[in-house]
Order: sequence, then structure tokens, then C-alpha cells
Amino acid sequence: MSRVMRTVGTVAALGVLVAMPFYLDAFWLQVGAFMMAAIIGAIGLTVLVGTAGQLSLAHAFFLAAGAYGYAFLAGEPGAGSAGTTLAGAGLPTPLAALLAVALAGGAGLAFSPVAGRLNGLYLGVASLGLVFLGQHVLFNARPVTGGFNGRSVPELSVFGFRLTGDEPELVLLGVPFGARERLWYVALACAVAGYVVAGRIVRGRPGRAMRLMRQNPIAAASMGVPLRRYRAGAFVLSAMYAGLAGILIALTARRIVPDYFGLVLSIEYLAMVVIGGLGSVRGAAVGAAFVTGLPLVLSHYGDDIGFLARPGEDGVDAATAVRMLYGAAIVAFVIGSAQQARKAQKARKGTPNAITITMDRARRALPGGARRRLQRQGR
Amino acid sequence: MKLSLRDVSLRFGGVRALDSVSFDVEPGTVHAVIGPNGAGKSSCFNAICGVYPVGGSVRLGDRELTGLPPHAIARLGVARAFQNIALGGADTVLDNLMVARHHLTRAGFVSTGLGLRRVRREEDRHRARVTEIAAFTGLDAVLRTPVAELSYGGRKRVEFARALAAEPRVLLLDEPVAGMTHHEKATTVALIRETRAVLGVAVVLVEHDMPLVMGLADRITVLDFGRVIADGPPAHVREHPEVLRAYLGAHS
Amino acid sequence: MSRLIELLAIGVSLGSIYALIAVGFAVIFKGTRVVNFAQGSLLLLGAYVVAALSPHTGFWPALGIGLGAGALGGLVLYWLVGLVPHGEHMTLSILTIGADVLLATELARRIGSRVMPTGDPWADGVWRVGGLVVPYSRTAALLSALLVIGLLFVVFKRTTWGVSWRSAAADPEVATLMGIRLRRVRAASWLIGGALATLAGLFLVAFPNTGVEPHTGLLALRAVPAVIIGGLDSPEGAVAGGIAVGVTETLVAGYADELGFLGQGAGDVTPYLLMILILLWRPSGLFGSKEAVRV
Repeated sequence: MSRVMRTVGTVAALGVLVAMPFYLDAFWLQVGAFMMAAIIGAIGLTVLVGTAGQLSLAHAFFLAAGAYGYAFLAGEPGAGSAGTTLAGAGLPTPLAALLAVALAGGAGLAFSPVAGRLNGLYLGVASLGLVFLGQHVLFNARPVTGGFNGRSVPELSVFGFRLTGDEPELVLLGVPFGARERLWYVALACAVAGYVVAGRIVRGRPGRAMRLMRQNPIAAASMGVPLRRYRAGAFVLSAMYAGLAGILIALTARRIVPDYFGLVLSIEYLAMVVIGGLGSVRGAAVGAAFVTGLPLVLSHYGDDIGFLARPGEDGVDAATAVRMLYGAAIVAFVIGSAQQARKAQKARKGTPNAITITMDRARRALPGGARRRLQRQGR
Repeated sequence: MKLSLRDVSLRFGGVRALDSVSFDVEPGTVHAVIGPNGAGKSSCFNAICGVYPVGGSVRLGDRELTGLPPHAIARLGVARAFQNIALGGADTVLDNLMVARHHLTRAGFVSTGLGLRRVRREEDRHRARVTEIAAFTGLDAVLRTPVAELSYGGRKRVEFARALAAEPRVLLLDEPVAGMTHHEKATTVALIRETRAVLGVAVVLVEHDMPLVMGLADRITVLDFGRVIADGPPAHVREHPEVLRAYLGAHS
Repeated sequence: MSRLIELLAIGVSLGSIYALIAVGFAVIFKGTRVVNFAQGSLLLLGAYVVAALSPHTGFWPALGIGLGAGALGGLVLYWLVGLVPHGEHMTLSILTIGADVLLATELARRIGSRVMPTGDPWADGVWRVGGLVVPYSRTAALLSALLVIGLLFVVFKRTTWGVSWRSAAADPEVATLMGIRLRRVRAASWLIGGALATLAGLFLVAFPNTGVEPHTGLLALRAVPAVIIGGLDSPEGAVAGGIAVGVTETLVAGYADELGFLGQGAGDVTPYLLMILILLWRPSGLFGSKEAVRV
């Protein structure tokens, strides 16, 4: 694909995404916001798992850190449900959102003595602990989290303009721009920024270092890559992405409960990045849209889809169907991509050497100036 | 800069992989380390690179390398080409060479993510330099090819070029021609000569191909069971009785 | 004081169940370098088969078939993992997560909202020794775990087969050169892991619990701190880790009133806290082999 084609494609896709709120109803806008939140979270995870090769099952923990961090920092103190008293910092909401992302990153940094020293699989197993500890805190730190019943999430607003609420009223091209429409753009802006930033990191110096670290840690260290720092760095980065995703999930759902932020959520994110191909930012986005969108759509249209049972009936209900589907998807994509790689390798064996360059040619390619520069070992 | 090993020792359980090994490598020379299988040649490299903690002392110029982590040693100018190719397979040749510039560059997560101009300039500057090195090693035609698509000899060459791209003072080559075709071998030998002549780095070479080593090395250290049994110019080592015994299994 | 002794007794017996699961994790990891995240659904599978069959066949035949089902489940997983040749261990472990979701969801669907007792012979009987109350089922768990794990270790240490298993785990390439059939030895690791999980499942759902529930499989994750504390590649460490987790959990739950500041249900999560603390101190666990390489 040529550069021009790609640019045209990107612009067209962005155009469609920007135009969506003029055509979609509230349900689809909400699905879209959830998808974009998940895309951000999945991008963070694919950098950690796919690029750096550090497995993490703690993603739900950092999503919760962002979501609850925002709800607490932006929330006003007051009465919660079931007779609890909620604390809240009452900060301006954009500031609270920034701090919540920092909080998630800080939580990642606090875990980095472990995350930096454990490689790959070990981290995956150890990170399970964070999910359980995190959920325990969510259930028990009632003044902050609201306990079992959770707490409601304040709308994001700048100088009285509700970025995720209905006030002041706004009508564009005959379409009323309420909470769902505005939230769409907030989420879209965050997702695009997250996508661009992660793409640069993966293509740039940190990405190259992390990819070699995943494939051969000793070689990476011998080429000057400080492994601990990159393991910890990737962990903090993915925690911050998860934090941002958590905030958007909280803004979309408007109420957050601890039950949601369990191991199942971590595994859903893992499914997203596996389906998209480990380490691929674009793939993570596609996987996230699929894994998040599918259950929402299935339960929305569940009655119209013949083979699915209603909850409580015998047979396969929508939630079960979705879980089986992404369980199977993980298995299928791992096996599928391995088989594909093997086939590609077999096909390659027939091709002639890609290098048939003689020393003469190498010498000719080296002008005198370059030679002198080689001697100076220019940095 | 001179690389010196003094009484370097390394044990795995009860096995002495290295037993007070000492030798010096002068800049602008090729120093071969040879010996039968399991003599401790690769352990020697791992000791220099800091992969294993060792006893004794490894110095580069007046800097002590012992005890430093591998990435810090790399930063001081020790680069290594691995015997069993340790490249990022899906990445292009260019990306693989750019990794070697890691310690010469500074762009971190934040500045790369924000796409600062400083980062782009750094990237351009080092890409240009890496392209020169690729040309020097005859890889310029395949810069944009994923490493996994190259032949074995080609990947071996990328391994060599990557070590060179780190602008090393000391270049460690672990069996750089193993498994290569005759033609590829000749090219690589010419490259090593060129590197010695043009860059003036100290090259440490582990290799099994004896005629090649005798023709190429300025000095040879012979290891057997982790000990140095001979050290000197090729002509001297070739005649050394201990060496003959180790290699031919002759009883004296 | 007697309360402490009682809690310790219960903790050790619970720990022995965790040890069964943890040894399964460790045997599979040591044999094939894959973390089997599906250990929980294997446990659920075995326990479900026992509970489903025992009303028809009686308990003991059902147990036999259940153990077979768990072992077979392990083999199927091994086969799945084998479909990814030269796969990174991390990718393979992710594969087991997918398999776990599939199997656990299907079993949960079959179990529905039921609680299925396994019809074990210990029922709700208890020992009362000098004010100490310990369920029969837990005694049986402790004894079975001792017997099975002990036997397993003897097999590993003393038999030819055990020697080939250990050498295959230590260095697959050399083992192949020595004529050891890697596939068989590795398959055996998964088979053992599956059977151990089933046995653990049987005791986990026994008294004081009432039977197999959809979420029983999640209990296997309690064994995760056990293997990490002990060291992923050390079956011996897994036993110690299992006991440590069982005792910690029981003590914290038992003194919940005194430890109120830890919050409700702290017993379930303290093992994870313990795990993280131990990791900070020793990254490869208490008994795990320290990687010689400083990277």
C-alpha cells in the first residue's frame, strides 16, 4: 500500500468517525464510547505483552485505578448508597482526569520493583495478585469506592461546559448534541491520541529495544538495553493507558462497581490483544472493538437472534456465547498465527539468497568520506 | 583501547568453565580465542559482556568492567555478534541495526511518544550512519527486508553488522563464519580485515575454522578445560606442544 | 491457644489441597515451561465428572473416572499446546488461558445454578479431639495429599522414568540425544497435572463446602501464590508454598475480628499480598532455581 493510499484511508476513516454522532442513536454511541475506551486499554496492553513480552493479568487493576481515581478526585463528598458516606476531593474534572492517569501510572511504578525483575511469564502469574488485592480494596475502602454498590461518576466539564453531559444545550446541523454525542468526541480524541503515541513508541527507539528484549533478553542487554528499566517502563506505560481507559469507561457507564474490575476483565483485554496480533497497535484496536462491541450488540439484539436463550432459560445465553467465543478466539488465534508463521517459513526455503553481494560491491559502496567518518567513530 | 582479562574465573556448580584466564587484546588487532569444544570460549565472551558474574578482573583501558551489568558494559564500547543468531526476526535489517545505536541515542518513552523534533533529528542522523555501516557490510540492498527472510549467511552478516553499528571499541565475534558457504566466508573474512584496518577496534574472535584463524589473527589464546594453555602469535601457537596435544589428543 | 491449634490444623489441611494444585502447576511448568492457567477448569472438570457420576455409579468408580477425565483434559491441553511448534512459552500460556475460558464457561453452563455434592464418604463428619474440631474430609485431604505427593516424589527421584523426566526438564536437547522420548515425558507432566487438579477439586468441594459450583474453578487460583512463593519450577517448593498459603488464609480468616482493619474477606487475599512481598525479596521464589544469567 502506497503512502498516499494510506493517508487517504486514514483521513476517510477519521471522517467517518467524526460524522458518526450525526447518524447513530444513543445505544450505538454508547457502544462506540465503550469500544474506544477499550481500544486505549488494549493498546497499552499490547505494548506491554506484545512488544515488551511481559505478560500481565493485572490490567483490570489499573483500569480500576483510573476509574475510581477519577470518581474520587472529581467527586464531591456526600452520601453514597446504602447509608455510606463518600469522600471526594472535588477537584476540577479535567485536573482529576489527569491525576487519575498519573495515579494509575504511579500504581504501576509502585509495582515496578516486581515488574522490572520478573520476566515474561513470571510477571503474568504474579500480576494475578494485583487483581485480587485491587478488588479487595474496592470492596472494602467504602469511603473512597462506595463499596459493593460502587459510586457514581461526575461528568467531565470545562468552565461549566459539560463535555460528557447535556448542559448547556447544543444543537448542531439539526442534531441535538447531548451527553452521548459529546462523550463520543472526547473518547475519539483520546483514542486517536493514544493510537498515535503508541505507534510512535513502538516504531521508535523504545519499541526496537523492547522487541529485542522480548525475543532475546541477553542480546538486548548486550546491545546496551537496560532490561529492568524497560520492563518497568512498559509496565508503567500500559498502566497509564489502562488508567485513561478506566476514566472513559467510568464516564460512559456513569456508575462504577467493583465486580466489573475482576480477573474476567483482565482476560477480556488479553483476548483483545491476542486477536489483534500481539504487539500490533492497529490489531489491538480491532480486537478491542470486537471483544467490547460483540456482547453489547448480542445482548441488545439477543431477542431477535434465534439460537440464543434468554437469561435463566436452558441453552446458551448471550453472555455465555460471548465468553465461549472469545475463549475459542484466543485458542484459535494463537494456534492460527503459529501455523501461518510456519507456512511462511516453509515457503521461504525455496527462494534464493537475498544477499548475493560481493565484497567488491561493499567496497565500492563506501566512498572515501564515509571511510574517514568511520574512522572518527562519529556519534 | 586495550581489553585485559586478569585471572578471570567462572564456575557452574562443580564445573570450572574458566580457570584464572588472563590475556590482553590490543586495539587494531584481531585476537582469536580457540580451543576444543567446551574449552570455555563462549564463557569467556559471557564473562567479558557481564552476562555471568565472574571472579578476577576484566578491564577496558582503565575502566573496570567486572561487576557492571551487561548494558553498562555495552555502553562502554563492547559489542558482540552472537554465535546462534540473536536478531529480531520480524524486524527489518535497518531496525535490527538501529537497536545497536541504543546507547548512542537518548529518545525515551515520552519524547518518542510526543514525536519531538529532537527525536526525529536523532533518528535521521543515526539512520544515515547505520545506512553507511550497512553499505560497508554489503547489506544496503536489504535494509528494508525483515531479517527472517534472509538466508542463514545473510542473518549472520546482520549479526556482524549490528555489532559494528554499536561503534564498538571492542568487537566480540562468536563464530562469525560458522555454517556459511565458502563465498560468504571469504566476504566475512575480508570484512573483518577491513574493520581492523579502518576502524582500529580490538577484535576478539572465537572460531573453529583453523586455517581461517591462522590466516586472520594477530594473536591467539588457546583454552582447554577453562585454562589458558598457550598464548602468542599464530606461528608460535601452531608449534606449541600443549596445543597439539589438546587438538590431536596425542599423548606426550 | 486451642483456637490457634485448630486453625493451624485446618490451615495445614487446606494447604495440602492447595499443594496438590500447586504441584500440578509446577510439574507442568518444569516439564514443558508452560504455565497452565487452565488448571482451574481442569479442577472443575474433574470435580464435575465425579459429582455427575457418583449418584449413578457410587463414589469410588466416579472418582476413578473423574481422575481419568482430569488427566485426559490435561492431555488435550498438551495436544493443543503442541499445535504451536517452537512457540514462545508466554504465547503458549496465553493459549491455556483461552482454553480455560472455554472449558470453564461450558462447565458453568452445565452446572447452572446447582450445587452438586460429590457423595464422598466423609460427608460432614468431624473429629473432636480435646476441644479440637477437624472435619474428616480435611483429614482425608491431608493424608491423600501426603500419600500422592510423596509417591510422586519417590517416582521422580527413584525410578528410571523419574530420571528421564527430570533430565528432560533440565535439558530437552541432551535428553533427546540420550534417547528419551520427549513427547511422552511431557505428556505425562500434563497428565499428572490434570489428575492432581481433580483430586484437589474433590477435596475443595467437600465439607465444609457443599459441592461443585460454577465458580469452584476459581479456587485453583489460590494455588498461584503457592507456586510463586515456592518457585514455579520447584514441585518441592509448591508443597511448602501450598501449606504457607493454606495456613495464612485460615489464620487471617480465623482472626478476622482482630484483623478488622484488613477488611472483609481478607483471608482470601492475604496470600497474594504475601506472594508480592516474597517476590520483592526473592524474585524466583523460596525454592526456585535462580537464573544464573544477570539480566
